[in-house]
Amino acid sequence: MDWKKTREPADAWHMTDDLHVEQGKGDPFAAAIRATRMSMIITDPRRQDNPIVFANDAFLRLTGYERHEVIGKNCRFLQGPKSDKAAIAEIRAAIENETDLSVDILNYRKDGSSFWNALYISPVSNDKGELQFFFASQLDVSDRKRSEHRITADKDRFEKAVRERTAELEAALEAQTTLLHEVDHRVKNNLQMISSLILMQSRAASDENLKRSLGTMLERIEALSTVHRRLYQSKDVSKFDVSDFARDLVSELLTASGRSEINPKLDLESIIIPAEKATPVALMVNELLTNALKHAFKEGPDGTRSGSIGIKMSQPDGHLNIEVSDDGVGMADANGDASFGMRLIKSLARQLRADIEWRDAGPGTRVVISMPNGPQHKGNLS
Amino acid sequence: MNEPLKVLIVEDEALLAMELESLVQDAGHSVVGWATSLAEAREVVDSTRADIAFVDIHLTDGPTGIDVAEYIDDRKNSMVVFMTANPKRIPDHFAGAIGVIAKPYTVHGVTSALRYLQEGVRRPPPTSERPAGFTLSPAFETVWAPGR
Repeated sequence: MDWKKTREPADAWHMTDDLHVEQGKGDPFAAAIRATRMSMIITDPRRQDNPIVFANDAFLRLTGYERHEVIGKNCRFLQGPKSDKAAIAEIRAAIENETDLSVDILNYRKDGSSFWNALYISPVSNDKGELQFFFASQLDVSDRKRSEHRITADKDRFEKAVRERTAELEAALEAQTTLLHEVDHRVKNNLQMISSLILMQSRAASDENLKRSLGTMLERIEALSTVHRRLYQSKDVSKFDVSDFARDLVSELLTASGRSEINPKLDLESIIIPAEKATPVALMVNELLTNALKHAFKEGPDGTRSGSIGIKMSQPDGHLNIEVSDDGVGMADANGDASFGMRLIKSLARQLRADIEWRDAGPGTRVVISMPNGPQHKGNLS
Repeated sequence: MNEPLKVLIVEDEALLAMELESLVQDAGHSVVGWATSLAEAREVVDSTRADIAFVDIHLTDGPTGIDVAEYIDDRKNSMVVFMTANPKRIPDHFAGAIGVIAKPYTVHGVTSALRYLQEGVRRPPPTSERPAGFTLSPAFETVWAPGR
């Protein structure tokens, strides 16, 4: 028989409590465990219900019990109404499977007050691998738990505030969008009403000059209408594609007037202008195109007035250039500065700070408009 | 020559309805009825036979134009074209409608849409080009303008 192995019986721990001073004094490890500030217990799973067989003073201080109240009891007396069921199940599983476990659990003192226990459990086996004890240490981590809870609560509160603010902003945005749609709807409906009124008046008119006059007015209103229709169809209501507009306008003016003998020549770069410039630019282009259609071409021997109308748009260095040309009779008799159309063009040019020039293109007329049109990609330049 | 269209107008603005009627007649077609609300529209739809119904979304009893389109679509007794200043309110499935003429439309826009619709109704698919300002519903896009 190996003397060394029998010198200390396997339940020497137990004896340190039972025999107190005599044995404990001789065992520095036992003395250290008794005196440490870390709460520690040992349970004996070989006995009925795995009772506590050793508890140090720190454990008693932490839990508020007397030693005789805990020795011989299963440590579930530390659990209470708010102890987490999942944590209890984890402890049970660790005991059953004889594995170690680290878990935070809410425990209760003798006086009923609670504390957060960072529990560590570890099985202790002998040389043969037979389970002898469970060793458990307890650490009061209530402060850490409190700050964790506070952080979680702060986070929840913060997230709630963000959610509320986001909802407010979304609601405000939606209200604004609804309002924009409402205003847009009214603008469009009113433009349609204006067109209808002019048309009705025109139908009722018997005087040809008056009819012509109302017809010209309708064309202008319809140019405005087309601007509005296109503007609010696009995703970005602050930008306007002026070349798309020109393409539509030319085809509309030519087919509406039934002037299939006129050949359109389009040279259109895609050009975006700010929405506030859309109306004056559109009106100006409309004026120039309708003017050319009405006055540029002489009646040929076949009774039609054929020719070609060109529109070119380009944007060299921050400028928007628009050229409207025809190969008609020229501007000899078209310098009618007094005419309303001409005044309209000149006023709009002034508003847009555009230079406008009428050139004799022999044959025909070429009108060149050049205006500043800021940088195209403001956002990209930093 | 294709037979002229019988048109039903569902529009709450009298002025617009009147003028639209003139445009329809000028283009050689006829207007068989005018309704300003969902209830009126149901009555006219049940009692009249039209080829095309021009339907505004906002009527005297609210945004019920979609319901009008669905009512017509259920009965299959005419085809619907929305005519609205608020095309974004039209559902993706268009409630069975052919498409939409966005307001404000031009005289020429309506005239060419009528020609296009006449071809589409009488001898589909239409041969003339789809007019600017006229948008086809996805369903009709595949039938009337495949591959475009």
